[in-house]
Amino acid sequence: MSFLNLIMENGLFLLAAMGKTLELTLLSLVFAAFIGLFFGLLNVSKNRAFNIIANIYIDCIRGVPLIVLAFFVYFGIPMATGVRLEALTAGIISLSMNAGAYMAEIVRAGIQSIDKGQMEAARSLGLPYGKAMRKVVLPQAIRVMIPSIINQFIITLKDTSILSVIGFPELVKAGQIVIARNFETFRMWAIIAVMYLIVITTLSKTARALERKISHGK
Amino acid sequence: MENRESKISVKGLRKSFGHLEVLKGMDVEVGEGEVVCLIGPSGSGKSTFLRCMNALETITAGEVIVDGYNLSDKKININKARENIGMVFQHFNLFANLNVIQNIMLAPVELKKMTKEEAHKKGMELLAMVGLAEKAEVYPSKLSGGQKQRVAIARALAMNPDIMLFDEPTSALDPEMVGEVLEVMKGLAKDGMTMVVVTHEMGFAREVASRVIFMDEGVIVEEGTPQEVLLHPTQPRTIDFLNKVL
Repeated sequence: MSFLNLIMENGLFLLAAMGKTLELTLLSLVFAAFIGLFFGLLNVSKNRAFNIIANIYIDCIRGVPLIVLAFFVYFGIPMATGVRLEALTAGIISLSMNAGAYMAEIVRAGIQSIDKGQMEAARSLGLPYGKAMRKVVLPQAIRVMIPSIINQFIITLKDTSILSVIGFPELVKAGQIVIARNFETFRMWAIIAVMYLIVITTLSKTARALERKISHGK
Repeated sequence: MENRESKISVKGLRKSFGHLEVLKGMDVEVGEGEVVCLIGPSGSGKSTFLRCMNALETITAGEVIVDGYNLSDKKININKARENIGMVFQHFNLFANLNVIQNIMLAPVELKKMTKEEAHKKGMELLAMVGLAEKAEVYPSKLSGGQKQRVAIARALAMNPDIMLFDEPTSALDPEMVGEVLEVMKGLAKDGMTMVVVTHEMGFAREVASRVIFMDEGVIVEEGTPQEVLLHPTQPRTIDFLNKVL
């Protein structure tokens, strides 16, 4: 079968799977943003205990491959607790925990890149720490963080493919299903690669454009 | 001076960073409406001392009472205390994400001291006072150093503080911009603001200060009127320092 025929025949199915992939990525990143903000803030706090908690989380998650985390959440936890998770739920949990650790580092680096005089000036006016963080430091830190967040988006998008191992119907899983039917291994994987390529290149170009805009706006 | 209410009362203040003791027991009283200039070589602890006055540095030992708040007491509401103590920094520290008027309005509005309208009105008055009313909507990155520092002073004044602390307010400025900032500070002094100023501007100290304190290596070496300290110093370290800077 030609590429054109393969695309005509499986295009909608693959696009739907790409949609699932993006859905999984976006949902995971939203949760990861909260996890990252939480542990990132713990990490920049003056409280040693908070720093240690954040570092334990970050080190543990970064020290375990995503596939192991996914197996643990999808197969391990149900065995221990008797609660079965849907593949989507398990996927979102594993991906957000994983991306959350990297987000925490992005948040930490973003906050630390802001001159500490900004926090001091806000505190000197009587603003409590939380308010100073929210109104002065974070708005500036987020500008700095945007390119890294888009990078993390790309990494998480690619990492969704790992979740094919727990049977979640994202793009790689969809490819495997189609190939099991038509044995067009070479062409199908090429099509899937190009699909990823298009989405990811668009994202990284956006990231670079934003980065330029941010450094100009300074 | 004895009759005036004491605005700042420091007794036996010590401050260490790790093993390094920066302030080695300082006693200072500042009365209402006084302008105290702190001078001394770099590394003498002037800025650290000033930063202890609004608890930007934690106090290792001793007592610091500012405007009735005992800053050495960990249980006091430090934010409440800071509302009455304005601070101006060497590097301005204007909020880069906010324009000039937003910089000034942030604290009064967030701390519910004023409504947005009141804060805006007050902010514009203060900007007029420092001669920058036309810059209200401009972002800090578009201002010169002198303009930034004048906005920073207006921002601190927006909280109606009883005391203003200045940490080398003109040290980061190009020479031609020093005057405009000192003019604003002189105006404040004339209006009776209680001020503590860490400065290298001996002319300003001579003209405006009610008292000059010369510090070196974490202790007060000499203090008195500008006449006494700047023109007739008695301590060898003061004489040596003044010979170098004048």
